[in-house]
Amino acid sequence: MSLKEGVVADSQPVLPGTTPAETEAQIVEFPGQFYEPWLFQTMLGELNTRELGVGFIYSILNQFAARHALNDVVVTLSHDSFGTQLFRLGGQPISAELAVRLSTEPGVYCEPDKVPAVECDAVRTACQLAMALHRARFGATHDPLTKIANRRSFDEAMEMAAARSARYGWAFTVVLVDLNDFKRVNDLSGHHVGDDMLRQFGFALRQAVRQGDTAARIGGDEFAVILSNVEGHEASGFTERLRARLLAMNVMIDFTTGTASSPRDSADPAELLRIADGRLYEKKGMRR
Amino acid sequence: MMSRTEEDFELELRSLAGVLNVSMSHRESGDIDVVTLVVNTKESEATQSVASQIASLYYPDATVIVDDTSQLLSLQRDLGSRVAFVRADYDTADGTCEVQLTIDGRMGVGRAGSGPLIGGAEATLAALRDLGYDVPFSLLTVTNVTNGRDWPVVVTLRSNDNNGDRFGIAKADDDLISAAKATLDSLNRFITTDTI
Repeated sequence: MSLKEGVVADSQPVLPGTTPAETEAQIVEFPGQFYEPWLFQTMLGELNTRELGVGFIYSILNQFAARHALNDVVVTLSHDSFGTQLFRLGGQPISAELAVRLSTEPGVYCEPDKVPAVECDAVRTACQLAMALHRARFGATHDPLTKIANRRSFDEAMEMAAARSARYGWAFTVVLVDLNDFKRVNDLSGHHVGDDMLRQFGFALRQAVRQGDTAARIGGDEFAVILSNVEGHEASGFTERLRARLLAMNVMIDFTTGTASSPRDSADPAELLRIADGRLYEKKGMRR
Repeated sequence: MMSRTEEDFELELRSLAGVLNVSMSHRESGDIDVVTLVVNTKESEATQSVASQIASLYYPDATVIVDDTSQLLSLQRDLGSRVAFVRADYDTADGTCEVQLTIDGRMGVGRAGSGPLIGGAEATLAALRDLGYDVPFSLLTVTNVTNGRDWPVVVTLRSNDNNGDRFGIAKADDDLISAAKATLDSLNRFITTDTI
């Protein structure tokens, strides 16, 4: 199966029950090219269940292919925030040769290629929007260096865990993690070495937590973890896993932890953090 | 429907420098089996290493394969871009043809009378000139090798300085597109290798 170059525009779409002049007026009324009714419905349907993202792009391509009986579709997106990206119908693989051929020009490539160009444009714009929104959402909730949750996400996760704990009595433990002598790493070896160490520590943290736990970077060299259904000394399992991961990765940095559990220590998220912080600095004091 | 975890996994891979495409195959259990990345980077080994690390966080049993396009892209740059045919229309009312071509994201449109065969070839030359090419050739002949459908069209161009003729041949659904593509066929090597 081969993809033909370019898109052949064989007709201008006319909205049902309108004359071409009326269509023009409606296009002006709905700027941004999202006047394809099926595309609106798909977007609204998706928004009812979840936020627009990479999955939505595949949904659009599947529906677009079904509407026009297309065997194959590739959409090439290009944007300052994510560079060039290619998506193929059903998430099918793209060969290097095809990627090279299509990546130089943004567009919708389909087989067969008799699809109105204006609908191709609308599909591409919707895909571009979904990709940009997913990137923006990921960027707003994750720390850019370590790719774990940021402070904002952590605060939301704490509120959520506290609410569940109050309602259902589910226990959870918050662990504050502080890297020892990290300032010296930055001062002696430079910030790029420090950043690399933080990146590796973040990676080890992601490996050490279980599914359903939250790992976050809440400050420069301060991390926090919410362990679901864990109370008190049970948190030591996490600390052991983290040390083992760092050792396996050959990352030579030590850390100190402070923990607090709900509901045992407090049911209030702010109070839990204060208790964990106090215990952390108590240990730090002992270490010095 | 794609899970949120899988979406974030794909996004994280697509955020790596130089990644153009991500595709995944699944096992019967639904778990991800193989992740294939198409990349354009000089450091594809580093990309594979980071992608494998990311995969180990989301799907520890997945295999990551990296397909590098950088060599193909540099080869394409060496060869230069090619002019591509976009569309051709014939207006039966006034007998005019319109041909649209593209190269590197630019569009060129050419129009000519004299029917779908000769008009198609002349409109193609006009579209090339619209793209900014100074095409030092004129149309000599356009021949449909038979009178039936689906037979090739041969175009002959004569160099303005009588420095030899060029021939192009193409077969498409109709004479107009065949003539346009045959004209491009006669010139594509000239267009891509010579600086006009």
